[in-house]
Formats: sequence, C-alpha cells, structure tokens
Amino acid sequence: MKKLDKTLIIGIGNNTRQDDGLGWCFLDSLEKEGINTENLVYKYQLLVEDADLISEYETIFFVDANKILLKEGFSIEQLYPSEKVNFSTHSVPPNQILNLCETIYLKKPKAYVVKIQGYNWDFEIGLTKQANINLKKSLKYFREINF
Amino acid sequence: MNPKKIIIDPVTRVEGHGKVTVKLDENNKVKDAYLHVVEFRGFEKFIQGHPYWEVPIIVQRLCGICPVSHHLAAAKAIDQLVGVDPENLSITATKLRKLLHYGQVFQSHALHFFYLASPDLLFGIDAPAEKRNIVAVAANNRELAKKGILMRKFGQEIITTLSGKKIHGTLAVPGGVHKSFTSKQFEYFLDGKQIPSIDSMIAWSKEVIDFMKSYHFKNSEWVDNFVNYPSNHLGLVDKKTGALELYDGNIRSIDYEGNELLNIEDIEYRNHFKEAVEPWSYMKFPYMTKYGRENGWNRVGPLARLNTCSHITTPLAEIERQIFKAYTKNKPNNMTMYTHWARLIELLHCAESIKELLLDEDILGDDLVRKGTPRTKGIGVIEAPRGTLIHEYHIDDEGLITKCNLIVSTTFNNEAINRGVRTVSKDILNNQPEITETMLNQIEMAIRAYDPCLSCATHALGEMPLIVQLEDNQGNLIHEKIR
Repeated sequence: MKKLDKTLIIGIGNNTRQDDGLGWCFLDSLEKEGINTENLVYKYQLLVEDADLISEYETIFFVDANKILLKEGFSIEQLYPSEKVNFSTHSVPPNQILNLCETIYLKKPKAYVVKIQGYNWDFEIGLTKQANINLKKSLKYFREINF
Repeated sequence: MNPKKIIIDPVTRVEGHGKVTVKLDENNKVKDAYLHVVEFRGFEKFIQGHPYWEVPIIVQRLCGICPVSHHLAAAKAIDQLVGVDPENLSITATKLRKLLHYGQVFQSHALHFFYLASPDLLFGIDAPAEKRNIVAVAANNRELAKKGILMRKFGQEIITTLSGKKIHGTLAVPGGVHKSFTSKQFEYFLDGKQIPSIDSMIAWSKEVIDFMKSYHFKNSEWVDNFVNYPSNHLGLVDKKTGALELYDGNIRSIDYEGNELLNIEDIEYRNHFKEAVEPWSYMKFPYMTKYGRENGWNRVGPLARLNTCSHITTPLAEIERQIFKAYTKNKPNNMTMYTHWARLIELLHCAESIKELLLDEDILGDDLVRKGTPRTKGIGVIEAPRGTLIHEYHIDDEGLITKCNLIVSTTFNNEAINRGVRTVSKDILNNQPEITETMLNQIEMAIRAYDPCLSCATHALGEMPLIVQLEDNQGNLIHEKIR
C-alpha cells in the first residue's frame, strides 16, 4: 500500500446521484492504485467536526463534482481559510472548515480543491460518459503532480 | 392606517427552510403570526410498494441529523411485521439499539447546544448577525468550541461503530440487529487513548449544565419571561416507573399544571390522535382527539420530556433534574428557553447511559435476531432528540408497503412553535414600523428553542434559511427581512 504522509484526500458527493459520485469515484481509483485507505475519506458533505479531522494533516485535497463548465473538464485550485459564514449543520464549505481548523486547532494545512465537471444528477448509480472522461483526466494530472 | 403583515424568511440556525408571517391590525398591533413550512417531499407516499425490510434503511434518508431515530422508529415498527414486540427482542439487540440511540441523541444535543444555541447565549440577542455563529464561538472560546466538536464526534463514533457509517448506516434488521460489539471497541470508548473517554463526556456534559445554570441565574428575568406560554407536554415514559424513556415506553401527556391527560401504550396512538391541516403550511398539526384541535396540542422534546417523566434513572442527570424541577416547585415548566437547559440534562443522561451500556457485557452477546408470527401492521414510537417520533406501516401479502404514516417531532411541535412565534411577535412587534435585526433574532430564538427539523417534518431536503414579512390587513407586503 502506498501511504501519503500527512496527506488526506476527501471525496465529497453521493454515488447514487450519477455524476455527484465523481468525488467518490476519484477515491475508488486511488484505492485501486494502492493508496492506503487511511488517507481517503468519503463524505456526503463536510461538517463542522471535519475541522478536527483535517487538523491532523499537512495537506488536504477536497475532491468534488462541479456543475459549472471547466475548460479542461477539471481544475485544481489552492484553497484558503474564509471568515465568511454560510453555515448549516447539513454542510459547511471547505474554506470555512479551514477557517475553523485554524481558529480552534491553530493549524493551517495546505489545501486544494479538485473540481471535476459533471453533467447529470438523477437518482442513478454510475457516471455519465463525459464525466468519466473528466475523471480520468483529473486523475492523470493528480498523479503527475503528486507522484 | 391599514393593518400590516411581517414575514421572516428564511429562519436561520434551524434545519430546513421556513417563513414567518406576522399580521398587524388597524392599530399596528400584532393580530396573528404563522410559521409556514413550504417544503414538500412526500416520503409517506413514495415508500409505498417497497418491501418492508427496506424501510429502516430508506426512511433514515429523511434527515442527515437524526437518521438513527428514523432508522430505529422504523425498525420497531418492522419488528412487529415479523411478529416481534419490543419486550420480545433479545437483550443484546435491545441494548445495542439503545446504545446507538443514546449516541445519536448525545451527538444531536451537542450539535444543537454548541453549534446553534450557544451563539445566542454567549453573545446575547443584540449581537450582530455576523457574530452569532459557530465560527465566532470558536474565536471567542476555543476550548468550548473544541469540546463541542469532540462531544459531537464521540456520539458520531458510537454510531459509526454500531452502524458502519456516521450518517445513514444500518444496525437494526427485522427482529433485531445484525452485529454486536467487540471488547476492543469497548476500550476505544473507555480508555481515552484515541478519543476523549466516556468519562470526559460525562464531565464535559456537567460543565455545560453548570454554564447553563449560571446563564439562567444571570438572565433569569429575560429567560423566565421570553416566550412563556402554557401548553400540554408529551413524551415517552417507562411503562412501570414513569421514568424518562427514550427508546420504548408509554405515551404520556400532561397539561400545563401537571394534570395527566393521556397515558397509553404507544401502539394505541391511532385511537388518541388526529392530524389537522392548514392551507398555509405543509406541516400537519397533531392533537389529542379527546381534547380537540384547540386544546389537544402538545409540546414535545427535552422540556416536555422532563415535564412528563417522574424521574431519570441515571444518578447525575437525576440530581440535575431535581434542581431543574425545583425552580418551578415541581410543577411543569412552560418557559420555552428552559428547553436548552433540559436538553443539556438529557445530554448528561445519554453520556451516563452510554457508559452503563459500554460496561454491560450483554452487548457482546450473539443472540441478535428473533422471529414471531408475521403481521400486517407495525407501529414504532421513539423519542428522537427533538421529541416523540411515530412510524406506522401496513403491508400486503407479499410484504410490500401499502400505507405509511409518519408523525415526526417537529410536526408534534408545530402548534407550539406557532404559538411561540405569536407570543414573541406580540411582545416585540406591536407598533413597530419595521423589523430590526434584534427582533428578527428573537423570533428565530422562539423557533430555535425547539431545534426544529423542517426537513424531517415535511420530509424535505436542505438547509433552513428564514424570511420574515410584514403585511397589512389587505395582505400587502410592507417590510421584509431576509437572511
């Protein structure tokens, strides 16, 4: 098993809603490649207590499906803590989780969001063909920058 | 001058999406106020046609906060479809379900206190909106925020260990559970090496109760009078002793003075309750048939439970209950803001109960599933974090659901929340030309005390912002506040 030291990859989504499962499929692929499952976390949404989770790592990747057009079908951007509050106990944006982590735990992990463009969001398991292509492209790029 | 109407839409720091309308009369006095719930999803309908054994898994999708409550209420109903009543479930299965339930209530109560209620208590009703949130709490009191997160996490870990996932896992199966605990898992929660121990959870629960008592002492005039109105109170109690019961018991209701109105077997609820509807909300209004729509409604949840029970079985929570009850000279407490204090006493009770169960070797047992003579109707009643929760299912000869009725806690509280909104509106909005931020927050606090989950109540999905609108007697909008 390949272990990514001090790195956590969080896949956000729901694999029963077609392309909303992109974040989870991303993790599935990494697991097949031998990445230690301890470094991979599947989530429907981020919650306040995830500030505790990420405080133990130096680098975090949030991987999520994206509805908006992305030129390459995916993008990877660095994230910074946000003081803006858009709070519901059902979900908290990644930049607010980073802010809580910094405020409560005094930790500043380096964070990135991997956005992968999806197309359909109906009640169905399985990605659309184009989303699958975008997933493969994002994984290829992710491998290039990480390994 | 024409009468007016005020509308608050959306309401913040509650689960779901709601709108408040306040109507003023010709003299600018509050004539009436309503909480509208405008989401609709229809779980009762689309569950029809599914096999009964799928139900405990499907219906927990009603909610991301209290899925365990729906899972267990449905499981209790489905047990009856396979011929197993609560008293016939194996000891191991009953205790494991209870442990899951206490973990759920513990994490939900911690979430409500630390994430939703504490900003109001720490910063006051006049604090700017941007300060009334968990981020500001964290900045202001790092240790409190950290404890809140770790308490929530502890409850989530109990759930994960038993059901496989923090949200939407599975423990219960028809007639029992599908797995038991291991001794290694005991240690995880007891030794404090990987996560703070259950003893820390008990100590921290006591700390937040002390904080709350201190808050009440310092703010007694406001706390005692804010949204104080008489109501009936309803909750499950132990069938034999009348003690606080969260998993299985009799349904008991008392009036605002403590007179008993109802004390029935939970499966008899159909004979004693009806649900009214109003054109302005998707949430129904349950009431006790005998007392009618006007007088038969109840509050449910932590405050109601402490009012209806005779005592609490765990020692530290019982001491706190007695202190709580002494404040009203053992009479029912009708002061809405005391719901927060009651919730924390239950938090302590859950922590103590979790410890009792973690030290009980019955949860290591292997007698997990029982069977009986199949039936066509099952009713499961449980105390969810927010109050009494009822699931009822009917099946055909093939085991497919033909009928489903759900009465969730927030639906039980519908009339109570509306009365609370009316009470606070009359106190603060008479003769006011517009809605200030402080007024808006006070209306929200009247709603938030019940920790309502409008997603559950309407079986809808999403967060709950609030809109308040002010209307004249012709229905014309004269002022609106949107968060």
